[in-house]
This record gives sequence, structure tokens and C-alpha cells, in this order.
Amino acid sequence: MSIVEVRHLVKRYPAFELSDASFRVEAGRITGFIGRNGAGKTTTIKSMFNLIHPDGGEIDYFGRPLIGNEKEIKKRIGYSTGTVNWYPRKKIRDIAGIVSRFYDTWDDGAYRKYLALFELNESKAPMELSEGMKVKFNLLLALSHRAEVLILDEPTSGLDPFSRNELLDIFTGLKKEGVAVFFSTHIISDIEKCADDIVYISKGKIVSAMSKTEFAGRFSAAEESLEDTMLRLERGDFNA
Amino acid sequence: MRNIMLKEIKLSASPLAFLFIAFGLMFFIPGYPILCGAFFVTLGLFQSFQTAREANDIVFSALLPIAKNDVVKGKYLFVCFIEACALALMTIAAVIRMTALADAPAYRANALMTANPFALGMALVIFGLFNRIFVGGFFKTAYKQGRPFVIYIIVAFLAISAAEALHHFRGLERLNAFGTEHLGLQATLLAAGLLAFALITFLSYRKACRDFERTDL
Repeated sequence: MSIVEVRHLVKRYPAFELSDASFRVEAGRITGFIGRNGAGKTTTIKSMFNLIHPDGGEIDYFGRPLIGNEKEIKKRIGYSTGTVNWYPRKKIRDIAGIVSRFYDTWDDGAYRKYLALFELNESKAPMELSEGMKVKFNLLLALSHRAEVLILDEPTSGLDPFSRNELLDIFTGLKKEGVAVFFSTHIISDIEKCADDIVYISKGKIVSAMSKTEFAGRFSAAEESLEDTMLRLERGDFNA
Repeated sequence: MRNIMLKEIKLSASPLAFLFIAFGLMFFIPGYPILCGAFFVTLGLFQSFQTAREANDIVFSALLPIAKNDVVKGKYLFVCFIEACALALMTIAAVIRMTALADAPAYRANALMTANPFALGMALVIFGLFNRIFVGGFFKTAYKQGRPFVIYIIVAFLAISAAEALHHFRGLERLNAFGTEHLGLQATLLAAGLLAFALITFLSYRKACRDFERTDL
């Protein structure tokens, strides 16, 4: 079942255009959203949260349009980013205490569980956390309100290989609990390691949106790694 | 709405916004343009908006499961809450000056505006100008604060100067009433200030909602 469906999304900027982007995020699967810097990943993700206003297209969650159902939908989804720092000087405990008030689905048990799992100290402020721990803090907030889908913008950027690996293992664990994970990255090995589906964006256009197996079958030459395939496609060479 | 107000108070606000409420007590200072107290209260609010911007507060709020209008409403409610607290202090100061200290020589010999209901009405006008020019101006981009604040400073000090000057004109001396003199006129002026504040703030809030809805974050 599609948890998220993006159809014909268009966003025009003076120097960039996201054109006709369509893809789905399926329940209980990990979808990697890959593209180089400036390909349109963040524009797409911001549109998926109505943070920016698309010039065209529709976004549905759980079979209902985002516009008109934003409040209800946002209760069921979680967002995290590796680049933004919320309230850097406030304690995690205080931020979580306020966030919990907005969700009737907030689960204190889950909060405690992920706090321990991510080894986060709730007396610390985000500014005292490493980049990897900041991502985990954002995930903690999303998971404590029982988000059914996590939409993550570059969660692995800036992380060391150990933290990245740890985070990707967390995604796999969440998938087993039935959570759909959609994460953008420009690191191909992230996709190789844990994604079930690949949405590949280049220069504002979705080049492909399919399962990793289908992707390899359609675009990869024999014995070619996913990384080599992506690099070749990005050069404009579609002949395997 | 309680939750968004709690978020504003506990996460978004700068401590200066609360500390600067105390500038409402400038209504006690003789020989000083007391409406500057209202300006200093808004200076604390300006600092609070800056602190919130550094904390990515607007995007954080927009990601919460609330309508975008509620993000705007939260900011306006917080601003009005601080202004109401400051007005309460100004009112206490004005009432004491109008009663127990009505004949105090330091206040009687004051060439500047006295603390009376007209002054309170003018403080409300200053607050209304802040809400319209600065808060409304901020929500045009949900980011830029410098330009709306500079415009607000200019307009606020023009309004303060005008309020200070008015009672020196022939026929307008009653604006500077001491004690309980001209209470009917004074009460009317306070009511007019309150009405101006409410109207300006409400119209500004509605426009800010429309602007914020269109803004790309």
C-alpha cells in the first residue's frame, strides 16, 4: 500500500525547476531518494511538508491529500534533517516536553525506549550533540509520536562511517516495526546498504522510481555496482 | 492554543522579552518621555524574534501538527501577552501617579507627558504599531526582521514625539490631565487607544496569516 504518493509535482525557481516529479513511498519499506547536490531533493521534501508551495501537482498521505488534511497527516508522519538545529540551547527534555503536547499519539514508553537506544542524554541541549546525535534526537521526536512514515532529509550527511552505518541499521529496525522510511542522500552506499526502493532525481527530474532490484535490472550492466551505475547515469550515459 | 502559547513561552521566547516588561515601570519616571517605556518593551520582543530565528523556530512550528495560521496566531498571542503585562505595570504606575502621588511636585513640575489614561492609550497605539509594522512585516518573509524594525523605530518615535508635543498646543492641554481631572475625556482617549490597538493588531494578524501561507520556508 502507498503511504505517500507524489504526483506531477512542479516547483519553479528563477534558476531551478523541479518538474513533474512523481513517486510513491510504500508501507514497511525503505525508500532512498538519491541525487547529487542541487538535484531537487530538499525542494521535493519541503513540498512534501507544505513548507514550500508547489506550482503544480498533488501530494497524498494515507490516501488523502495533504492540502486540507495537514493537521491530521502531520500527526502520523515524522521529519528529520541532518542539517537543521532546533532550539540549540534548550534541553532535550524541555523540547520533547513541549512537542509531546501536540500529539495525542505521543508514547512516553517509546520516548524512553529510543532515548536509551540512541544513548541520548535528555539533560543535554542540541548544541552539545554531535551531528549524528542531532539526527538521532530528531528521530527520537518523530518516533515518540509513533510516526508511520519518516521523511528524512540528508540524515546521513556529515556523519562518520560508523554513525552512518548505525543509523542505517536503525532504519532497518524501524522497517521491521512497520515504519516506512523515505530518506534523501547523495551517498550511494547508503542506498546500497539498506534501501528497498530507489527514487533517483537528476537536474530537477525524477529519472526513475522503482525497487532496487528493478533499478539494477534496468540500468546496471553485468557486474556493475550500483555506485558505478549511478555515476554513469549522472554523466548522461543510459546505455548499460 | 494553550500548547502553542506554551511553546512560545518555553522554547521560542528570549528571557529579555520577559525582563523588558519591567520597562512598563518607566511610567513612574518624572521628566522622562514615558512612552519610551512602551518602545523598550517592544525592543525585548524584537530580541525574542531574533532568538527564535536562530533556533529555526518558524520551520519547527510549521512542522508541528497545527494549521499554519496557528503558527502566526502563536506569535501574535505571545506578543500581545507581553504587551498586556507591560500595560498592567503602566496602569499601576499611572493609577498611583493619579491618586497617591497626584500632587507630588516632581510630577506636577514635569514638562513632559504625565502618566494618565491618555498616555496608556498612546502606549497601546505604540504596541499596535509594533504589531502592524514589525510583526506583520516579519511575516512577509518569515525571516527578515531588520527592515520592519527600522521602519517601526522611525514610526514609533514619531508617534512618541507627537504624543509628547500635543498637550503643548492651545486647546489640547487637557490631554495632560493630572489626578482625576477631565476623567471623561481621558477615559475616552484610553478607549480609543484600546480600539486602535485591537483593530490594528487584528488586521495585521489577518494579513500575516495570508502572507505566511504564501511564504516558502
